[in-house]
Amino acid sequence: MKIFSKKDRRLGVAHGTRKYDLPLEKGNGGSFLKILMGLMTILAMFAFVASFALSAMTERWSAGLANQATVEIPAENAAGVLLSQEEINKTAQDILVFLQQNSAVETVTIMSEEEIQSLVSPWLGEDMEFNDLPLPGILSVGFKEGVAVDTKNLEKRLKNFGEPIRLDTHATWLANVLKFTSALNMAAMLITGLIGLATVIAAAGAVQSRMSMYRDELELLHLMGAADRYISRQLQRYTFISCFQGSAMGACLGFIILFITSLIFKEKEIALLPNFNMSLTEFLILCALPVLIALLGMITARQTVLRTLAKMP
Amino acid sequence: MIKFEHVGLRYGVGPEILTDVNFTLEPGTFHFLSGPSGAGKTSLLSLLYLGRKPTRGLMKMFGEDIGQLNRHELKLMRQRIGVVFQDFRLLNHMSAFDNIALPLRIMGQEEKEIRENVEELMEWVGLGEHQHMLPNTLSGGQQQRIAVARAVITRPKLLLADEPTGNLDDEIGLRLMNLFDQLNRMGTTVVIASHNTMLMEKFGQHSKLILDKGQARLEKSEPKSTLKQRIGDMF
Ligand SMILES: Nc1ncnc2c1ncn2[C@@H]1O[C@H](COP(=O)(O)OP(=O)(O)O)[C@@H](O)[C@H]1O
Ligand SMILES: [Mg+2]
Repeated sequence: MKIFSKKDRRLGVAHGTRKYDLPLEKGNGGSFLKILMGLMTILAMFAFVASFALSAMTERWSAGLANQATVEIPAENAAGVLLSQEEINKTAQDILVFLQQNSAVETVTIMSEEEIQSLVSPWLGEDMEFNDLPLPGILSVGFKEGVAVDTKNLEKRLKNFGEPIRLDTHATWLANVLKFTSALNMAAMLITGLIGLATVIAAAGAVQSRMSMYRDELELLHLMGAADRYISRQLQRYTFISCFQGSAMGACLGFIILFITSLIFKEKEIALLPNFNMSLTEFLILCALPVLIALLGMITARQTVLRTLAKMP
Repeated sequence: MIKFEHVGLRYGVGPEILTDVNFTLEPGTFHFLSGPSGAGKTSLLSLLYLGRKPTRGLMKMFGEDIGQLNRHELKLMRQRIGVVFQDFRLLNHMSAFDNIALPLRIMGQEEKEIRENVEELMEWVGLGEHQHMLPNTLSGGQQQRIAVARAVITRPKLLLADEPTGNLDDEIGLRLMNLFDQLNRMGTTVVIASHNTMLMEKFGQHSKLILDKGQARLEKSEPKSTLKQRIGDMF
């Protein structure tokens, strides 16, 4: 049976049913559009993933630090005289008691010498002899969630235990980090926007080149009294399908690349994105990209076709 | 039906192809549009099928001033006009059937009706066997019959044909002329551009619109009684 149908085709029998009035499926202008859309999708995916990771990171930091503060007792007093370790420990103990009485405080602990040592060792070196060097006292405070704490006032009262004592709420540091990550996020958004723009331009260019290729056929449909929408619908459908096919292939490739990248990161223990796992919503957004890109292409095709047709009398 | 007043047409900055065309075609009439090659027959037809706007003058069709119509109205008017182009302008990526069905699909007819109508007409013009063939694999005469079938499938109010007998052997040519005649009797106004004087003599009952030096002149037909006699003579 196959042989016969092939023979028929050679004899000039139309194959399949008519899909479009314009010979859209001839020539390879379509594969250009598909490849372009695939690449756009991969780029958009990377931009999105970067943005997701940044958001996750920011969120973790701010959640971890939102209700946290640190009380720091410097090893020198206001006059610049070194305090003994006992004095520091005593002040820390007093402050602990003071803070435990504060209703806004949920937890308060004095950081042990080892903990402080391990904190400073990256700067001072493992072999550093700490014994004769007094370490500052550090208390880590956790406030109750949802309670507004007047940290200014609290710090003033803490200074009664010693002038150089500071209450560090991490606010400044966090604000800086947030500024930085939101700038990065903006950049990711900007890239996504540029990708969208490139998609529009590519789709418009592809449709325009099709329209000039099939000017005669287009004019014929117009002369037969085809409504502009009748013609644009076909190009819309064609563009949507082409863009979607290209974009879906790009998305598959993008997922593979992301998977491999994450494997490499795990292998090399690069904690660039600590514990970053995509949420279901984020995964679905990535999956929806081909549809979004195809829709964008389709709308562009529609505008392009209608503009070209408007020039016909 | 059709009224031209001082219509002029030029292409770009070239000379005026039509300088001052004035004529009125009554509804339901049959005309040959004649004149030497290059006289502007094809150009005049393109004005009639609304493929071009005149450079100047007044064009009235179906009782409407063309210059006053909006896009939607022009579209509806185009659907009432059937055109057989000189080079057929068939779509070579779709079958003969789909080519002929195209105007009906554009008008939004039901697929079932389309099938019936197109199959019937294809039988009638002798293309029943070639429904699924691609036009460019058929002979010139067959392609022309597809073009004619596509033009008449919608039973247009105005039928325009540009040199439709150029590719046809006598019997088929006669058959097409009879088809045009039949449509004409059902109320369609027919305008056929031709410089084939033999054809025009055979069908001398129809009036002639003669283009000459950018102007048109209407030549009235002979009495209708001679029609049957002439057709009879041919067989
Ligand atoms: N699209 C066009 N652009 C410029 N000139 C044209 C065009 N079509 C026709 N012409 C010119 O108009 C004149 C009339 O052509 P045409 O209408 O085809 O005459 P006919 O059909 O009577 O042979 C010719 O001189 C031709 O060169
Ligand atoms: Mg001509």
